[in-house]
Amino acid sequence: MCSVRDTIEFEKRGIPSTTIITSAFKKAADFQFRGNGMEGHPYVVLPHPVSNLQPDEMRELTLRFVDEVASHLKI
Amino acid sequence: MANGLGFIDPSAGGAKETILLAPRPTDLSGKVVGLLDNTKEQADIILQTVGEALCERYGVETLIIRRKEHYSKPAATEIIDEMAGKVDVAIAGLGG
Amino acid sequence: MNEPVDEFEFFLEKIWSDGFPVVTPTEERIARILGGTKRDPAEVIGPIPPAMETATVRDIAVHALMAGCRPEYLPVVISAVELMLRDEFNVNGVQGTMHGVAPMMIVSGPYAVEIGIHGGNGCMGPGFRANATIGRAIRLILTNLGAGIPGVSSMTIFGMPSRYTYCLAENMEDNPWDSLAVSKGYSPDDNVITMAMVESPRFCFDDVSDEPDRLLTGIADSMTAMGSWNMHARSDMVVAMGPQHAAICANAGMSRADVHSRLCEIAGRKVGELKNGGNWRRERALAFPIDVDPDDDEFFIPAIKDPEDLQLIVAGGWGPCTAVCHGWSGGSRAVHGKYQV
Repeated sequence: MCSVRDTIEFEKRGIPSTTIITSAFKKAADFQFRGNGMEGHPYVVLPHPVSNLQPDEMRELTLRFVDEVASHLKI
Repeated sequence: MANGLGFIDPSAGGAKETILLAPRPTDLSGKVVGLLDNTKEQADIILQTVGEALCERYGVETLIIRRKEHYSKPAATEIIDEMAGKVDVAIAGLGG
Repeated sequence: MNEPVDEFEFFLEKIWSDGFPVVTPTEERIARILGGTKRDPAEVIGPIPPAMETATVRDIAVHALMAGCRPEYLPVVISAVELMLRDEFNVNGVQGTMHGVAPMMIVSGPYAVEIGIHGGNGCMGPGFRANATIGRAIRLILTNLGAGIPGVSSMTIFGMPSRYTYCLAENMEDNPWDSLAVSKGYSPDDNVITMAMVESPRFCFDDVSDEPDRLLTGIADSMTAMGSWNMHARSDMVVAMGPQHAAICANAGMSRADVHSRLCEIAGRKVGELKNGGNWRRERALAFPIDVDPDDDEFFIPAIKDPEDLQLIVAGGWGPCTAVCHGWSGGSRAVHGKYQV
């Protein structure tokens, strides 16, 4: 999907990048990374769905994944 | 694509040439983080939250947030080129 | 011990198979189908997302062959791929979406007639080689070259029957008006394809109305549903009026444009109803490219946010029915263009 493509494009330009997706799209993300020569590229998976979360619930859930995001962007 | 089969197999596939991971910094302190919002629902809240927390927890100095035209299209090359020129690391969301 | 390969099993087992046998591609058959175009087989048409495998004229010909196309269908298939790859059509998104929408091809002009793209009885169903195989060629290109494969890169919840094939012409013999292509500014002699990313049709049966007001009210009702993305996003829609329904409107003095604008005006629901089920969210309504008040229960939300998004055609056999094909929320805009034979 498009956010995965964006991460691929950043990496091609030498910019460390990760993607945040929801769990329903894990297979699609794996496929796109693999198909673009980036099999196993690290990305972050939020539990699906998120569209029904209120803003404060969304923030609270997101905060649980921040350290994982950081781990994909630094050594 | 002729082979011993007696017909053509037009199946696509085969891995593309491997793209090497861009070298990672040892830490994010003082860094510029790019956040690319694909306009999918909740992407803005998620990226804003991540960005702010990275500043708080990891000493990230600057956030650059850009929003794409619509969630299902890859970002205009211009947006990515622009961000790549300004950021140290980038986060794209929300995939799906 | 070399056992002969069963060519049908070989292709039926491919991950990109649509579940039906294909015409086995041999060099001889490929050469024959390439006779249907003047274009250079090596000409690159474009990468098919999300796998981004390149489609050349030859690649398209091979998939058209496998789908069962005759050589004379090839110009239509090639042009359809070109149109499909336009940015605004967003095939990249539809290849991965949870939705089941498919690129519907409405083919206008004399060449469609010549090669037998059908627009009358049964035009949306099985029985017509041009309709079936041209649409199928597009799907095989999407699944093989694009790798839009359910459960692999496509998260489509159900898919849809129209993902097997989705190609038709208008019923110009019984159409009281100009074609969709003419309404977009083309000449009746132009060969044109319009593509819209829509669902399989749902039917509006009405054998009671004998004047347009009531008839269009019923058709407009079929254009709205709590669970339709047309109510919750800017989205294209195809309304294929059966010729009997079109005649009711034309006989009452309505032009094609009159019908189009009336449907845009009356198809919709009030905020208060939409809140009760389906995909209603305030934030979605606020994102519409039109002014809305999502806190006013009496506020009317139109199904069509921009008149350009309604593709109105006349198709099908004689009978009291109109087919309505709802759209997608993924940001696809219908595309159209002339093609060379």
